[in-house]
Order: sequence, then C-alpha cells, then structure tokens
Amino acid sequence: MATLHLAELHKTFMGKPPAVPMDGLNLDIDDGEFLVVLGPSGCGKTTTLRCIAGLENPDSGSIRFGEDTVFDSQRRINRPPNKRSIGMVFQSYALWPHLTVRKNLGYPLKARKLKSTSRGWIEESAALVDCSHLLDRYPAQLSGGQQQRVALARGLVARPELMLFDEPMSNLDAQLRVQVRSELHELHRRLGFTAVFVTHDQTEALALADRMAIMHSGRFEQLGTPQDIYDNPATERVAEFIGMSNRLILVPSADGPTVNGVALEGTPLIERGSDPSTLRTRPEDLTVTPPEIQLAAGWAGLAGTVVDTQFGGRNFEVLAAIGESRVTGTVQSDAYDGWARGLEPGDRVSLSFRPNRTAIYSGADNHDVPEISSQVSEATEPLDVPAKASPT
Amino acid sequence: MTKAIQTRSGPRLNVDMRRVATIVALTLFVGVLAYLVLVPIIRVQLLSFQDGAAGYRAAFSRPEFRSSLITTVQLTLGSLVIALGLGTTLAVAAINLPRRLRFLRMAPVLTLVIPFVASILGWVALLSPRPGYVNILLRKLPWWNNLTEGPVDIYSIEWIVIITGLTLTSYVYLFVSAGLANINSELIEAGRTSGMSAATVFFRITLPLLRPVLLYGGAVALLLGLGQFTAPLLLGGNAGVDVITTEMYFFTTASPANYGAAAAMASPLIVFGIFMVFFQRVILGDQSRFVTHGSKAFKPPGKGSKLAAVAVGLYSFVALIGPLLGLVYLSVSPFWRPVLTSDGLTLANFRKVFDTPNLTSAITTSLIVSVAAVAVVIPIGFCVALIQLKGRTHPIARWISDFVVQLPLGIPAAVFGVGFFYTYTREPFFLYGTKWVIVLVYVTLMLPFATRMLLSAMVALGNGYEEASRVSGAGAIFTYARITLPLIRPAVGGAGALMFVLLTHEFGASVLVRSPTTQVMGTALFDYWNFGSFPLTAAMAIVMGVITAIGVSIAMLVSGGRAFDQL
Repeated sequence: MATLHLAELHKTFMGKPPAVPMDGLNLDIDDGEFLVVLGPSGCGKTTTLRCIAGLENPDSGSIRFGEDTVFDSQRRINRPPNKRSIGMVFQSYALWPHLTVRKNLGYPLKARKLKSTSRGWIEESAALVDCSHLLDRYPAQLSGGQQQRVALARGLVARPELMLFDEPMSNLDAQLRVQVRSELHELHRRLGFTAVFVTHDQTEALALADRMAIMHSGRFEQLGTPQDIYDNPATERVAEFIGMSNRLILVPSADGPTVNGVALEGTPLIERGSDPSTLRTRPEDLTVTPPEIQLAAGWAGLAGTVVDTQFGGRNFEVLAAIGESRVTGTVQSDAYDGWARGLEPGDRVSLSFRPNRTAIYSGADNHDVPEISSQVSEATEPLDVPAKASPT
Repeated sequence: MTKAIQTRSGPRLNVDMRRVATIVALTLFVGVLAYLVLVPIIRVQLLSFQDGAAGYRAAFSRPEFRSSLITTVQLTLGSLVIALGLGTTLAVAAINLPRRLRFLRMAPVLTLVIPFVASILGWVALLSPRPGYVNILLRKLPWWNNLTEGPVDIYSIEWIVIITGLTLTSYVYLFVSAGLANINSELIEAGRTSGMSAATVFFRITLPLLRPVLLYGGAVALLLGLGQFTAPLLLGGNAGVDVITTEMYFFTTASPANYGAAAAMASPLIVFGIFMVFFQRVILGDQSRFVTHGSKAFKPPGKGSKLAAVAVGLYSFVALIGPLLGLVYLSVSPFWRPVLTSDGLTLANFRKVFDTPNLTSAITTSLIVSVAAVAVVIPIGFCVALIQLKGRTHPIARWISDFVVQLPLGIPAAVFGVGFFYTYTREPFFLYGTKWVIVLVYVTLMLPFATRMLLSAMVALGNGYEEASRVSGAGAIFTYARITLPLIRPAVGGAGALMFVLLTHEFGASVLVRSPTTQVMGTALFDYWNFGSFPLTAAMAIVMGVITAIGVSIAMLVSGGRAFDQL
C-alpha cells in the first residue's frame, strides 16, 4: 500500500467550448485512506481518476505513488497504465465476456507476471467478494451484482498499491447499491487498501469516505471528513451538492432579517452586515408546523403557504412558498393528530429550523466559509407541544 | 495486503524512445500502404502527360470520346435513379413484410451475392434479341408474333442502365435497411402518439432521419455506376455502346497498348473519386443530428402489408429468380437454341467445366488469390483501424492512411487494374503473369472493406475492455492479442468471408491484370463468353455462384448472420 500525491494537475480539452477537467489539483492521500471524489457530471472527477490510472494524461503537473513518480510533465515521465501498481473497477465493470470469472481474475496476475508467486490468490479474492461458486461461469451468466463483485475482485486480485473506482455502483438498482456499498465498506476496513472512489451520489460518498473531495469545474471546492463536509459545507455549491437544497435570501432590516418581505421569527441569526446573505438548509431540517403553534427556544421560523404535498411514509414532504421562494420542508405524518394529511394548497404553515442546522453564505462569490449561528438550544423540537410531534 | 506488484521505474528517456519507435513503424507501414495504392495510379497518370500530354490528345480528340462520355453520364445517372428509388422502396417494404414472408428480405442481398458476370449472362439468356427465352415467350403474344427477334434488345444502353441499376439497388437497399434498423422505434411511436398518420411519420420523421444513409448510399451507387465496367463491356460490345472504363480497357488491351491514352481516360474518374473521398465528411455534414439512441429496433406497426410483399416478391422474381432460371436452363441445354423444351437437357456442360484444365485452374487460382488477399488485408485493415482509433497523436499518419484506404472505394476497380498492369509489368517489381499481381490488386481493392468492418467492430467494442486490461497490468500488444482480437473474432470472420465472396467474383480489375496463363473465374468466364459456347459459360457461371454461395454461408455462420450489416 502506498500514499498518493497529486501536484498541480492541469488539463484542458480543446473543444467548443474548451473544457477544463483539472485546474490545478493538489491532493495527498494517506496510506490506507479511502478518498471519495464527489461532484456533478462534467466536473472532472472521472478525468482525474483516469489520469491517476494513466488512461489519460494531464497537460502538466505530477502524480506520485509513494516515492514512485508515475507522471511528471517537467521531467517527461509518463508511466503507461500497465506500469502503475493499480487495480480499477469500472462503471460498466468491463469484465471480458470471452473469459470465465477465473480467467478474468487470473488476467491481472498473468499480465503482471505474478503467476508463480500468486498461488491461491484467485480463489482468495473470489472468496473476499463471496463469488467462489462463480469461478467457472462467464460474465454474461452473472447478475449485475455478481458482475460488480467480480469486477471488484479483479481489481484487488494482484494486490495493487492503489484501488481506483469509477462510479462502480451507478449501474446497480437502488437496493443492491446499498448492499454492495456496505460490503465494500467492510472490505476496506478489513484489507485497508488505499482507494480513490469517484461518484456523483452523495449518500454513497458519505457512507464510504474516510475523506471526501468535493469537485467542481476542475477544482476541489472542499476537502474533509464526511461529517465535516456534511455539517460545514465550505461553499454554497458544496452545500447544494450535499443536499441543502432549500435556498433562502436573507435581507437585513431594522427589525431583523426578512425573506421576500416575510420576517424571520424566533431565535435571531448572527448579523452579517448590511448585505443580503444566503441561507441553505436540508428539507429534513426544515420542519412544517401549523402556523398557530409557537416556536420553541432556539428555533427560527418563517410563515409560508402550501403549494403541494407528497406522502413519503413516515413523513410528508411539503412544498411551500415564502413569497417568491419555494422551499421543501417535512412534517411527520401523524404529528398534530394527522394535521399534515389534511394540508391543501394555499393553507398557511410555519416553516421552522434550528439555525445550527443551516449554512449561511454572504458575498458575491459565495466562497467564504460559513459562520454557523451559535445560538444552540437544547430543544430538539421546535414547539411547546407534546413529544408526539417531535420532528426528526 | 502485501505489496505484490513490482513496477519498474524505467529511465527517463523511455517515453521518447517509445515514441520514436512508434513513428518509425508508422512511417514504414503507411509508406508501404501508400506505395501499394498510390504508385500504380500516379505512374500511369504521369505517363499520360508524356510527350506533351499525348495520351490526353489520343484519348480525347477522337470523335467516339464524346459519345462515350455521354453514355457514361447516362449510365451513371440512370442507374443511380433506379437504385435510389428502388433500393429505398424495397428497404421500406422489407420491414413491412408479413411475418411469414420475412425471408424475402434476403432477396436484394442475394442479388449482390451472385457474381455480376453470372447474372448478366442470366439476363442475356432471357433477353437476347433472338434466342432470349423471354423474347421467345413475348413473340408468342399476338401483336408480336410477326417478329423474328426482339421485342427486347438487351444489347442496348437502356438495358445496360436497367441491369446496372438493379444491381446497385442492392447496395442502396443495404444502406437504407441498416439505417432503418438504427432508428429507435420510440421515435416512430412518438410521432404516432403525437397525432401523425403513418404516412406523415414516414415523410416527416423516418425519411429525414435516413438522410445521411441515403446520401451515403447514393454516393456509393454514383461511384459504382461511374466506374461500371462489367455490364458495358459484356453487353455494350455488340451494339458499340462504350463508356469511359471500356475505352480504357480497349486502350490497354489493344496492340500496341496505349497506356497514356488509357490513363488519360481514367483521369476524370480518378479526380472524381478523390473528390468524393476528400469531401465525404463535408458532404455528410454533422452526423450527430441523425444519431438515434436506444436499442429498440424499428418494428413496423400492424401485421405487415400485402403491397410490400408484392413489391419485394416482384423484385426478387425479376432481378434474382428470372436471370437464375435463365442461366440454369441455358447451362443444361446442349446448345443455345431459340426454343423452350425439356428435350435433351444434359449435365454435360458441368462435366466439361471440371474437365477443362483452363477452367479448373482458373477456379483454383481464384480460390488461392482470394484467400491470400483476405489473409493479407485483414491484418493491414486491423492496423489502419488501430491508427484511426488511437492515432490522435500521429495526425499525419492517421490522415494519410485514412485517405489511402478510402481511395479504392472512390476509384473504379478497372482503373486500378490498368495501374497495376502497367506498374507490375516492369521493374522494380516484375510480377505480371504471377498470382502475386492479382493478390496485390485484390488487397488494394479490399482495403476499404477490411478497414471499415474492423473499425466498426472495434468502435462497437468500445474502450472499456482494453482499458480494463491496461490497468490490470497488460501492455498494448498483450491486450490486443488476449482481449481485442478474441472479442472481435466474429467480425473478423465475417469480414474475411465477405471479402472472399467479393473477390471470387471480382472482374473489373482482374481482367486487366490476368495473363493468359493466370486466370481467375471471372476472366475465364469472360473468355468463354467471347469465344466459347454459351451453355458452357452458363455452367461455369453457376459453378462460380455455388462457390460464392459457400463463401456466403460461411460468412453467415461465422458472423451470426450479420455479415452484410457491416457493409
């Protein structure tokens, strides 16, 4: 196992318009670390991964595996993929259809001339992913989940220094994805390989990562642990990308901030000067309550009107309007004696949140670090009502 | 896990050395390729400029030149119109066939599979003015029973156009059928559910989506019509109907031969061919507008149309079954007699085919040179396809190899025949009279097919499998040997068998590079046509057809019935 170091990676695709998948990337990954690169499609995450693998070349910069430089534009070093100690799992799995599972797993050993020293590795890696009984089948005879596991085993079989994952789970259906994800997590805990995992699925990223890199337009917008990024998204873009889909513009006024002319009630937010700022929050952190119910200590609220409701089992998702803005909040289905079930478009509601569950950004570029309001109350529920109505 | 993979940290010059080696190999390869294709054409063209362009004067000053030129234009445009109209109609009809008659879809393809020389002979058997079987039947009609010959004369420009058009129809049919198969049926259904009638959908959605296919198929038909040689040579001789290619042939085979004049005749064809190759991308324009996604193949609504069955059936009968019947009847007749009777039918002609050393050696030669050419051209095609796919860092080699490989598609086979004949009857490579010169011509003619089919197979395969191999530690060559080649094997097999078929009935180039002792099936047939008995020639044509049919069967077996989708 080894560390991975990316330094000043640049790449531009000449096209109309030109795309810049890597715009000065720097990153150091520790031995045994599982790094997830999360970003929207077209942000450059897959290109970065392919450059690490050697399937594409950066225009400039350097890539080191431990002390071993595999790419350096200045020293004119460019090791082809087969001369890099990697294993890779592709989105399409790319299992060779003309070879059995056993031969697919044996291929990296043969290609890397490890055949003599690797007795039993094929069986071992197949056992790791629970595929020992599939060794003599062809890929076309496997289910999607089985193919996924075999692809993983093929990546691991030659015991590479670095594992690369290119959105390996996006072809699985939702249930299987959760299962394979937890298997991969366990496998990493057990084997401790160094990994770079590329995805656009934030749940997957949060679940798997030791550390996350949020990527946008060829740059890392934020690097940090999943908890850190979840709680303190560095920019509004990161906030949006990890699920803070509600966006409210706070306009300061003499009586405290307003949103589209609607006054913010309850706990005041920290004053952020005289410029408008942007508040981001997740739907599950925006609680919908009947308007007459009073806010609990430490909660802030806004008055809104219902536009639409969606039933989601335990909760209702409520799309509400606050002036011109649309936000999505949640309410437990059985709260307030099933009040949510009767909600109709046009009904007045209160939308409340705890300020420490939001992120606030100001300034034109939205790039400054947020200051989460510090008025934390002990109340876990917004209202002075019995616990039955407790929001999650 | 322990560290298992040892990666060499090679010297820094590694990268540059690899690049230098690649460039040397590429230069050699592209050089040989360019020599093979370009030198024959260039050498003959230079010849036409000697002595103050004497060749051009000799070729263009004769009074016949004007009429040949007009005939060429008539033949080209006439057969193009027939091919485009009929080919498109048939393709649309074929997908609307009732389920039980689906097999008729193969009819237009089979027309292509029958050696053109053989089907022309079949037509002659039917429509020759005096002993043609159809003419005999027509003369039984009351208003024609006073005639002693006719009413149809196959040795005329009209019938040369019709027969050429019917053959080119198959090419257009193939392109349009493939185009139709690529249209996602949901696009059609979206049209219907938006309130359009079936006819409106056809004209507003289907036809516009077929535009690039029609353009491409039309361009191919145009080039084939322009370079058409077999039909005018075989049918035009009697009536003095000449086109550019036949004049070229006569200049080359006259004694003394006038290569300068032959080359001058070829010039317009070469210029036009190069123009088409150069500008095909411009002509075709932005194809992404026509890319339709989705795997739901086009399926016609409803149960199929009787009209479609009639159309395809009629075509099959006229273009395929009729000439075949004529040919078969002729081949079992003791001599060509202007009566239809079952008396004295015999297999003697077939026995004679296999007893005549000239004919049997022509069959063996055909088989040997075709197999040899296929064996040579497939690796070349693979390399060119690789250069096209991965050669982005070597744009010059990529461009040259693409151009060189496309050229035989644009320039008529007969022109290559003249060039190869001239080039290989003198130093540095005196190959005339050997099988080698035929192999070389065949390799050249098949370059576009081999490259195209392998390229499309590799494109369809995608990068994924190769990339997975590279990151598993395999080098490029290991990857090609263990992953790429095994995965495109069906395509390679199909391509090989298809090219074998095309080569076993090659005539246009063969007739120029053959020598009296080294004949192929098509040229032997031609000689017997000119000097021998028609029934024997017909038997020979049938033998040729059977050999071709075996090739097609192998093609179908190897490629899972998709050999012709790749054209």
